[in-house]
Amino acid sequence: MAEPVRKSLQAAQEQVLQWVTFHLDNETYGVNVMAVKEVLRHTQIAPVPGAPDYVLGIINIRGTVISVINTRRRFGLQDQEPTDNTRIVIIEVGKHVVGIMVDSVAEVVYLRQSEIETSPSVGKDDGARFIQGVCNKNDELLILVEFEKLLSQDELEELSQS
Amino acid sequence: MSFSDDEEILEDFLIEAGEILELLSEQLVQLERCPDDAQLLNAIFRGFHTVKGGAGFLQLTALVECCHITENLFDILRTGRRSVTPELMDVVLQVLDAVYVMFAQVKEREELDPAHPDLLAAVGALVAGEDHTLQIKSRHAEEAPGPTSHGAAQSGGDAVADDVSAESSSDDITDEEFEQMLAVLDSSSAGVQALSDSETAELSGAGSNEITDDEFEALLDTLHGSGKGLSHGMLHDSPPQSSPAQKNSSQKIEQPEAVVVSEANDEISDNEFEALLDALHGTGKHQGVPAAKTAKKPALALVKGSAEPLSKDSGKDSGRSPGKDSSKDSNKDTGKDAAAETTVRVDTRRLDEIMNMVGELVLVRNRLVRIGESSADEVLSKALANLDLVTADLQTAVMKTRMQPIRKVFGRFPRVVRDLARSLGKEVSLELIGEDTDLDKNLVEALADPLVHLVRNAVDHGIEIPAVRERNGKVRQGTILLAAEQEGDHILLTISDDGNGMDPNVLRNKAVEKGVMDREAADRLSDEECFNLIFAPGFSTKEQISDVSGRGVGMDVVKTKIAQLNGSIAIHSRPGQGSRIEIKVPLTLAIMPTLMVMVGQQAFALPLVSVNEIFHLDLKRTNVVDGQQVVTVREKVLPLFHLKRWLIRGECGVPAQTCAHVVIVSVGTQRIGFVVDDLVGQEEVVIKPLGRMLHGTPGMAGATITGDGRIAIILDVPGLLKCYAG
Repeated sequence: MAEPVRKSLQAAQEQVLQWVTFHLDNETYGVNVMAVKEVLRHTQIAPVPGAPDYVLGIINIRGTVISVINTRRRFGLQDQEPTDNTRIVIIEVGKHVVGIMVDSVAEVVYLRQSEIETSPSVGKDDGARFIQGVCNKNDELLILVEFEKLLSQDELEELSQS
Repeated sequence: MSFSDDEEILEDFLIEAGEILELLSEQLVQLERCPDDAQLLNAIFRGFHTVKGGAGFLQLTALVECCHITENLFDILRTGRRSVTPELMDVVLQVLDAVYVMFAQVKEREELDPAHPDLLAAVGALVAGEDHTLQIKSRHAEEAPGPTSHGAAQSGGDAVADDVSAESSSDDITDEEFEQMLAVLDSSSAGVQALSDSETAELSGAGSNEITDDEFEALLDTLHGSGKGLSHGMLHDSPPQSSPAQKNSSQKIEQPEAVVVSEANDEISDNEFEALLDALHGTGKHQGVPAAKTAKKPALALVKGSAEPLSKDSGKDSGRSPGKDSSKDSNKDTGKDAAAETTVRVDTRRLDEIMNMVGELVLVRNRLVRIGESSADEVLSKALANLDLVTADLQTAVMKTRMQPIRKVFGRFPRVVRDLARSLGKEVSLELIGEDTDLDKNLVEALADPLVHLVRNAVDHGIEIPAVRERNGKVRQGTILLAAEQEGDHILLTISDDGNGMDPNVLRNKAVEKGVMDREAADRLSDEECFNLIFAPGFSTKEQISDVSGRGVGMDVVKTKIAQLNGSIAIHSRPGQGSRIEIKVPLTLAIMPTLMVMVGQQAFALPLVSVNEIFHLDLKRTNVVDGQQVVTVREKVLPLFHLKRWLIRGECGVPAQTCAHVVIVSVGTQRIGFVVDDLVGQEEVVIKPLGRMLHGTPGMAGATITGDGRIAIILDVPGLLKCYAG
């Protein structure tokens, strides 16, 4: 099944990408390091009345107001109280900057394009739409997230609502 | 010549010509009122001429053609061989419209559609009516004899820019003396060609083969510099004899200095000359003296006579930078100083960045001030007080860079009113007051639309037709007054007319008729509330929809737009005596004074413009009317809303406390009370947009960072009510 994908990726085989990995529940996710601006400890988030429920609120980073997304809710997981490990990853999507709240941030891993497989189709799961691919490394499944899709999805939803 | 060079010139042309065109439309309407104003005629002539020059430079032939023929027409007008008639003005205004269309096309980098041949023919006919072409030719021949001067251009000495200045004593020249000087100069202007050997004059570039750009600029600077000193403007004429002439005419001038540009075998061309002309006239204009009248004729003739045979290319290469610089200077200088480069064009984005950073600085200052208040360190508080002052100054200074006179908006109204009045068969005069009032650039742009609506309304609904006015014992001509003034931290704009006014009862009936409210509710409305009915969407008192008004959309738009600007609008009107509409807008949009309140653990900022009063309320003293909690304040019943129930999640059903702080805010003419937990105080905040995901969240105008570094959400009161109270 992964054969045709392998082939098409052959050309880019040498390309090595770096991914920032983070945990949500029991899973490990990865986000392209080029999109990550910084990682913050959990700070107070000011809720915005009337905002969509997956938006936790806004934070102030050196004078810039940034919205923080409740990643757990976005991925269809149960809410959880923030802990000492809770981090806010500031990512840049297109021209916009958003924060995503994650349980913890682990490390930066190097992956060759060829190691990345397309995600197994798991139907209409809420989180599945933003999955770029998966990677099996050291017996651990790493799920690569494409936040561009996650956000454009939001936009679509917002548009359809209004 | 590279493309990017061209692009740069084009940009400059667009900015410059844009300004001139705006001015022209204003001047043309003014001209109709005082058709004999020679100064005005000259200004218009010059405007078309400058646009033509720029367009010719960029080879925008259609535009050149249009401007050229109009310029010819104004040449006739200003020499008094034809007088201004409304019919003539109609044609000219049409030409201006055509120029506008072309100008827009240039902006879009599109191909130009040439002006309608009929239009050009109409102008042509007006021009030909006085046998204009012949006269022009003969005039050229007189003042800069054709073939001879062409030859002279090659051999040395024909074009002259002559500038006389009196530095120290210039203030003392009276108008009369000035006229005398001009007369002397005129009479001696025959000796056009006798110049390069002039001994009284300072020759620049004589004998050399080329006047370089640098030299030219230096020369321009000299002209500029000395010109500024002259309180009555600049003399621009051909003969070198001007210096003695001036000595004769005014004893107070001590050290006259004449600068003569000689083009011995060189390549001063069309464009350099135009640049020079522009510079001279530009300055002259600011000095406010009809210098141009006498100066223009020979100068223009010279340019035409001498420069046309020269190749265009040489003109492009040498004429560019001086042309650019000089016109900028002359456009922008207010004539305070003699320095050549006193203004810089800055991209507004850069200003926005600076504004942003200053905003950050203000926030940090707020924070420091708050920290300082809690410490008893004297040195710290001194330093803080200093910082406070400097930041405030910086903030004002940066804000000032973004300020523009409201003239930019007002400028279009004479034309709007004129056209509308003519098409409606009314007689309307428009008076503008306080055009120099400065306000934020964004505001200037944002105000344009609402004001156009209001002014159109005043002409259409307000002013009666002349016959009716006469019957009612008023003068035939209606007056619309458009005024702007600064009132503390906001700008007050008033649009008043002496027309028919509004009858509250008619509005009441209309409201009932339209089903906006029932008869009882309508009867209870105060007169002022009745006037506010006209802001309701779809509310029009006109029976017939015309192309001017009657759809009932305009006022709704006005109201929304003003509300967006954190402004307010009020109407005063008396039947038969006219209406006055007052608009208040803040000086700037970037920094907003707010009232900080606490709701739960969170800080919210209410725009101070909408806050009326604050008081402490025993919640037992409220009543419930129709399921709505209300409070009576000075015999007025105001609805009361608990912000906590709206804004804090999970707090919908909290039992009301026994006493609370109440903030009375006004939305339009309505006033309501918000119950908040705590009042923090007044704070100036910088509005931060909420970002893409949260943009458009109802009731939230943005966010800001408070003095203690936390985030406060700025509430949009009308939006909040719409979303939660409805």
